[in-house]
Amino acid sequence: MKKPFFEFFKKCLFTVFFLALMGMQYSHAQQTITGTVSDARGPIPGANILVQGTTSGTQSDFDGNFTIEASSGDVLVISYLGYATQNVTVGNETTINVQLIEDASQLDEVVVIGYGTAKKSDVTGAVAQVTAKQFEDQPLTRVEDALQGRAAGVTVAGSGQPGAGIKVRVRGVNSITGNNDPLVVVDGVFGGDLRTINPNNIQSIEVLKDASALAIYGSRGSNGVILVTTKRGSGKATVAIDQFVSFSTVEKRLPTLSSAQFAQLENDEFIANPVNDPSNAPYSAAQIAAFEANPIRYQDLIFQTGITNNTQISVSGGSDDGVRYFLSGNYIDQKGIQITSEYERFSFRSNLSKEFNDKFSLAANITASRETTVNNQDAFNRGDGSGILRSITWDPTAAVRDADGNYILRSPREVANNNFNPIRRLELSNHEVMTDRLNLTLNGKYNFTDNFNYTLIASVSTINSATESFRVEGDFDATGFTNIGYNNFNSTAHQISNILNWTKEFGKSNLDITGVYEFQGARGVNNGYNVSDLNVGGLYLADESNAENFSNNGNQSAIQSYLGRLQYNYDGFLYLTGSMRVDESSRFAKGNRTGYFPSGALALNFGNKDFIKNSKTLSSLKLRAGWGKVGNQNINASARFSANSGTGLFTFDGVNSDTGEVQVQEGNPELTWETTTQTNVGVDFGFFNNRLTGSIDWFNKDTEDLLLQTIVPGTSIRTFINAGGVNNKGIDFSLSAAIVQKENFSWDASFNVSQLSNEVTKLNDPEIDFIVGNAAGIGGGGIRLNVIKIGEPLGTFWGYEYQGTWKTNDNIPVDGDGNPLFQPGDAKFKLDENNELEFNTIGSGLPKVTMGFNNTFTYKNWDLNMFWNGSFGFDVYNQVTGTISGNGGNRSNLSPTVYDRWTPENETDIPRAGTGNVLNSSRWVEKGDFVRLSNLKIGYTFKENIIKGITSLQLYASGQNLLLITDYSGFDPEVSSTVRTFGGETANADAGAGIDTGAYPNPRTGVLGVKVTF
Amino acid sequence: MKTINLKRAFKRTSFFGSLLLIAAGFVVQSCADLDPDPTEFALPPESFGSLEQMDKGIGGVYSQVVLAARMTTFYAPAWAGDDMTTHRALNKADFREFDQRAVLSSNNRLLRNWNAIYDAINAINGVLERSAGLIGLETINQEILERQIGEAYFLRGIMFYQLARVHGDIPIPLSKFPDPNISKSPVLDVYMQIESDLIEARERLPDMYPGVLPGAPRPNKGSAKAFLARLYMDWAGFPIKDTSKYALAASTAKDVIDNAGTYGFGLVDNLETLWTVAGRFSPESLFTLVYCKGCPNNSLANRKFARLGLPADLGGWNETFAEIKFFEDFPEGPRKEATYRTDLDWTQFNAQKSPVFKKIVGPEGDLNPGDFLTIRNDFLMRYAEILLIYAEASGLSGNDTPDAWEALNKIRRRAAGLPYATPDASVDISSGDLADLAFTERKWEFAGEYVRWYDLMRREKVSEVLSERDNVSGPIPEHNPIIGSLETSNYLAPIPADAVARNPNLGN
Repeated sequence: MKKPFFEFFKKCLFTVFFLALMGMQYSHAQQTITGTVSDARGPIPGANILVQGTTSGTQSDFDGNFTIEASSGDVLVISYLGYATQNVTVGNETTINVQLIEDASQLDEVVVIGYGTAKKSDVTGAVAQVTAKQFEDQPLTRVEDALQGRAAGVTVAGSGQPGAGIKVRVRGVNSITGNNDPLVVVDGVFGGDLRTINPNNIQSIEVLKDASALAIYGSRGSNGVILVTTKRGSGKATVAIDQFVSFSTVEKRLPTLSSAQFAQLENDEFIANPVNDPSNAPYSAAQIAAFEANPIRYQDLIFQTGITNNTQISVSGGSDDGVRYFLSGNYIDQKGIQITSEYERFSFRSNLSKEFNDKFSLAANITASRETTVNNQDAFNRGDGSGILRSITWDPTAAVRDADGNYILRSPREVANNNFNPIRRLELSNHEVMTDRLNLTLNGKYNFTDNFNYTLIASVSTINSATESFRVEGDFDATGFTNIGYNNFNSTAHQISNILNWTKEFGKSNLDITGVYEFQGARGVNNGYNVSDLNVGGLYLADESNAENFSNNGNQSAIQSYLGRLQYNYDGFLYLTGSMRVDESSRFAKGNRTGYFPSGALALNFGNKDFIKNSKTLSSLKLRAGWGKVGNQNINASARFSANSGTGLFTFDGVNSDTGEVQVQEGNPELTWETTTQTNVGVDFGFFNNRLTGSIDWFNKDTEDLLLQTIVPGTSIRTFINAGGVNNKGIDFSLSAAIVQKENFSWDASFNVSQLSNEVTKLNDPEIDFIVGNAAGIGGGGIRLNVIKIGEPLGTFWGYEYQGTWKTNDNIPVDGDGNPLFQPGDAKFKLDENNELEFNTIGSGLPKVTMGFNNTFTYKNWDLNMFWNGSFGFDVYNQVTGTISGNGGNRSNLSPTVYDRWTPENETDIPRAGTGNVLNSSRWVEKGDFVRLSNLKIGYTFKENIIKGITSLQLYASGQNLLLITDYSGFDPEVSSTVRTFGGETANADAGAGIDTGAYPNPRTGVLGVKVTF
Repeated sequence: MKTINLKRAFKRTSFFGSLLLIAAGFVVQSCADLDPDPTEFALPPESFGSLEQMDKGIGGVYSQVVLAARMTTFYAPAWAGDDMTTHRALNKADFREFDQRAVLSSNNRLLRNWNAIYDAINAINGVLERSAGLIGLETINQEILERQIGEAYFLRGIMFYQLARVHGDIPIPLSKFPDPNISKSPVLDVYMQIESDLIEARERLPDMYPGVLPGAPRPNKGSAKAFLARLYMDWAGFPIKDTSKYALAASTAKDVIDNAGTYGFGLVDNLETLWTVAGRFSPESLFTLVYCKGCPNNSLANRKFARLGLPADLGGWNETFAEIKFFEDFPEGPRKEATYRTDLDWTQFNAQKSPVFKKIVGPEGDLNPGDFLTIRNDFLMRYAEILLIYAEASGLSGNDTPDAWEALNKIRRRAAGLPYATPDASVDISSGDLADLAFTERKWEFAGEYVRWYDLMRREKVSEVLSERDNVSGPIPEHNPIIGSLETSNYLAPIPADAVARNPNLGN
């Protein structure tokens, strides 16, 4: 659909360019000094350049460049926190390059704050920064891993699945329906996807956490904003090559009955039935002996050693005529730990910039990537649990293939998990998703004067994703078990940001005013077809099938925004920031679509005060307080409209079908933003010449008008409502220290911990105090595993409260006729006053405390990095152990607890044989607390020029997830099972936090790598 | 020294001008399209403006009814009958709860059936509301409109009916969106609503729905009357026990019998053809839900037959088995052959030793035994039932007419493999307790058709029959012993716990 896209170009883009050109025509004759501020390592952004004795000054830009009007004989004072101040007298030259010398006592950094940058000491909001330096010690394929445990208040929960989404959360979760992913802004462009970014291309990552920092992102800011700044080239050409190979395994095995144990129990059960002739017992003694000798272990068969190859090359540099370049290519090839799963990514980045003159500069960033994912377990039928879970519970007495080499399709005796052979399914199927992304960003900057400039960011991105799938879920000779699908998804997004910035010094006062007009739009179209009952997986054979189904859908959204921000600073002591953003979004109907997001913040920096300057211990101190409102509009573009499903098939002749209309969604024109009001109070401090620095932030976030996808009561028709309120409050604490700084040995450590409490505070409908969630249980039973309930956290588990078993001597309740409602040995659940089963909240999957602890040791040429992280105070709904104990498609109890079942003689709390296993019960809720050794790396860097032409050479070995300390009985408590929902419903990952339905575990990984620069 | 300050800058008109232009640009342009056209992606439902839309709406209703009925879930309470059982273990706990008379509010089949039926009812209410504006419009063919509104009433009536037979008191929402706090209505009100819906349907439906195959794939006047007859039969028994309805049941059934030709109904000659693919459009069906295999996504396939009724030995899914004593007691003859797969020696199965219903798995060679997706249709009510309602209701209302005996005898003749219309002294009877004879005839005639449990319930014979259920003659015992009460207090199933949790007014 090119129409809307080009229409917008005609209408808008040219106007903007025209305006930009108008601006360029304006110029005034001024003599100008240009130059670069750098240190031994490279350019210094944010350095202050002041003409001595005047109020005229400027700052170096992100690349260390500056431009200032000055006359011969003037003295330029160049200062930057952390460096000794230099004075340079201007002669006849027009270029002055300054190299500053580090002054360790005053280290400071520039942070990106959104629509601009600031010195860290000037920041008034809560911003966590992670720079390339902090994660270069860990071999990474994913940006999310760089964030994990390194930024206080940021939680990262991964899955071991190659290429799968990793959950990043900033200060808890607000939303139930809209997703809680933070907004990712890459080089000023919204909507980046962290998984597609090569970590090696990243200069720094800033996480905006409090509302005063976030409010400039308005309706998009409530989940936090992650600002990614990519590298740019400078200086002489540098080539860097980074290559590593890693091996991943899952070592843990969940306890299940062995082949022999299971066979023996089956025999026992058979013989116990007087109808049966014991000589016909299903397994012979010889078979059992054979199982004893050669057990069949499906947990061994579903997992394999994963291998990852990662190659990365970059070329960067700059030339005298203002051209700078950074080119990078990356190739990752992963074989997953689940058999047949694969992931491959090619990515390319080109960051080019050119300064045409001191007024005008232009940068173009181009990224392109292709990702291919094969046999992601979530692509298969998960009705009876994930592929991994089905394997764990498959018949341990049936091999994958019979003696003739043919697959054993189903458990021959219809025992254990009675689904189709999970290994066969993966070996015969090929589900491939190939996604191409292209992103073009143009960044033009024009300086009207030294302190007034205009920036235009124009960006276009496209995603093309093609799925080719041949799934073999079951029999070839029966109907409905093979499926060929072809699906194409295409989306285009654009963004135009116009940024005006004006700065001015008045004596000791500094003023910085930013104004922005911005608009964005996105359009996605999905179309595909699938057919069934073909036994050959060729895409081009798909039209041989009679059972064809076509699907088309799409959506379109737009948003436009106005933003103003004022920053004031008095004498480097008092800092004030105020901002206001206005957003208008197509996701809401006229009248409810305009959101106003104000913020204000105050900071006091005592760094220049005498009591600190004179102190031997305290070296910096800053107090910060901020307040602001941010929003969330993360729901379907079409959430406010009613919709019919065109999938209501019917037939009257039994041969031809037609499609009827069934309403599936009820529109809600009243729908509006989710609004989060956040207050943040923080302290930044430094001791001993800032060798020990840290910060503490307390925050309180109140989210109102929570967006919720729910159903119209008494129907299955979905509707979106503003359901209620959620409160998140907590404390982020971080500390980093240069513990030892000797010539040959150093030890740097950083530690952060976040405490968070989350609670649903209100539901807008006064008649209710809970809404049942959308996370579907295992099996087709219509069970829902989560609830949104006042007074409980989001992501609260919903089910029956398990109280052991009914004992013979218990006072078992009776029905109206005096018959007992339960038998001794039945599972005992909490009952209400009418002796009916009662649903209760039975746990929460949101951690209350998360922490990270990073240590780097260097000794001569050796370096050692050790990174620990942990989460505490949360539960896991272990549906895996539950399913092992028999349920749904899993027909036999495979749990070793079977030996400990209730019998009249031994009245244990494990229900008696022959009772149904209830999965949505607190019996399967466990504590999830864990500490993990996330990364351990040892590296050796060769001295410069040890090989001719090579600037540096490092060899390293590392291990990830080497140690996991937890009481959780499943594979990994940090589970992130993709939440399964019932047809037509959606649920975000947080609603199902902590629900383990057979998640892909985090593997243990060993890495060998080399980094070369020349 | 040259510095730029604000005052000087503002003097420059070109600068000022460009600033103004930019400002104007910001205000005037509206580049974001904030009102996308939703109809491009999905058509929002409003009031129907044409018969085509009404047609789509009715089609949607049928899709919801089929979704509710395509799996055994729709009939799970019928496992309580003495004719059918399920596997003694495996994942059949939901069915066993019915079979063993210990049904919990956590039973998943109850919940899924509840939700699916209300989905259908809500869809019907939506169609009735949206079509209201078309009534009386000159531009709309009112004959077609009336017919389709009649269909909607018919389907709503039978959906309420299906659920009322399970739970007794149920909520009866009649608007597009139900009252969120709706309460249960007493079963009498529910029956009156069903009656009213079926009467509304009867008034509007044609004698024969034009352009459809035999067996009323779309209901006609006779279909509505037939379900009314069944309703009166239930109404006269448990739980309301208004015995005056027997006469009404008899007269309504007689009306269908007398006009059978008009409505296109009648008996087939050979009972066995009813359980074949070839016989899936049968004049014996008074209302047929139609299925299809190979229609998109196989979503229109019937999931109750073939594989579902076979034991593991034959690759089956062990869901629907026959009970042993019932099988043993079944009078020998063509009807038994048409009911069971007597070619399979169930006593020798390695898996569960239970007889297999031919009605479920089809005659040998008809359905692919590996299929759980089949093309077989559902006969929601057979003409044979109208004959037997007439006979039983006549007996119970003290009106043993020769016609009533003849109705019973037609079934007996066919069961013996004789032409049903030709009197035959070898099987015909004309004396005895007509009601009891007809009741017993129903037992054999409808075995495995999810009917028996409702017969036991309405005539309050649960205790009498089920306490004998396990007295098998051979060495193989019945598999799922009764553990719950057989008294009337335990006849009806509780409202699903999940539905109660969402709306406490539905509390049991």
